[in-house]
Amino acid sequence: MSLTDACVHPFPAGDSSIRRMALEARQLGLSGLVAIDTPPGIVEGMKVTRGVIIAATQVKEVLSTLRKVPRADTLVMVNATDPGFVRAVIGLKSVHILRHVHKAEKYAFDHVAARMAADHGVAVDFDLRPVVYYRGVPRQKVLQRYRDVLTLHHRYEFPLTISTNSRSILDMRGPRELRALSALFDMDEVVFDGIAPAVDRLLSPGNPVRVIG
Amino acid sequence: MKPRPPTLREKRRYLLVRIAPPSNVVEPRELYLAILEALSSLHGDTTVAKVQMAVVKATGEYAIVRCTRGWEALVTGAMSTVTAVNGNRVALRTLAVSGTILALQKRMAGSGGGGPERTCDLMYREKWYQAYYYSGEKVDLIEKGFKSQELLFLTTEDLEEL
Repeated sequence: MSLTDACVHPFPAGDSSIRRMALEARQLGLSGLVAIDTPPGIVEGMKVTRGVIIAATQVKEVLSTLRKVPRADTLVMVNATDPGFVRAVIGLKSVHILRHVHKAEKYAFDHVAARMAADHGVAVDFDLRPVVYYRGVPRQKVLQRYRDVLTLHHRYEFPLTISTNSRSILDMRGPRELRALSALFDMDEVVFDGIAPAVDRLLSPGNPVRVIG
Repeated sequence: MKPRPPTLREKRRYLLVRIAPPSNVVEPRELYLAILEALSSLHGDTTVAKVQMAVVKATGEYAIVRCTRGWEALVTGAMSTVTAVNGNRVALRTLAVSGTILALQKRMAGSGGGGPERTCDLMYREKWYQAYYYSGEKVDLIEKGFKSQELLFLTTEDLEEL
């Protein structure tokens, strides 16, 4: 099964070079990586997509950063904060992924945002780093939030991505482990298998539907 | 005591686990405690009692973990939340699941040894590191010293580009 890790931070942000991460990803059985601030291309036989993370509190800041984003083959991710910000960001044309839903306000990603995400083809990212690293109540809250997003996904069917947010090869996980971790917030096999082509589709979305005849 | 007949025994599954990085020496008892803590934290004591997890073997890069049949995915999930064993950073990769230890041992033998091909000292970014060269162009750099040793994961190509 092909699966892309939607967010990794290679050296110097992390302790592993992009080549080493690509080698590890290939060994783990992943089909691609989205590497933050790393040139795109094929590294050690692995497709590497450039990603950019925008961590802002104002839409104005997001817009000014979007102007500096290099090319069309870059995946733009924005960290969620509050409901107004989330809705505004989902409406922007160049934004591909909304991430850190677990850190945002409780109902920052609500049914209105979910419908907008489905209409605009903006994906919501499941960052598995807090699931791996947190313990106790903080982890329970993350799992609860992810379960809530999944409920909205079942209704509105917006795209989903899955990421490990790794800064090291030791944080990377293979499809078998990602599937097991996703099962913790009740992601079933069908939804998990549907995540696989999401990253490619985000960069080259299909043409709008034409009514013929 | 006379052993139970096969029909009355609980069916078990064995998981082959790769421990990364290979330079870490992990004791079976420490590995067991780390997995148990992860399992208990994720699923609670009731589930841990049902799973009956045990570390059968931990040698070098590989370990074999046992659990009751039907709970393999749960143990895999718990093992992927283990980030350190006895204070050392590790990652536990589940490679295979089998009903017999023998099948996993054959697979371990087939995948070759995980030890370094050679080691040497080298200077990188004005710091001294112990370099472990593995097959497949992998190079692990461990900073020399006693406290807060930096760990870097590179390839031979990365080092040539210096």
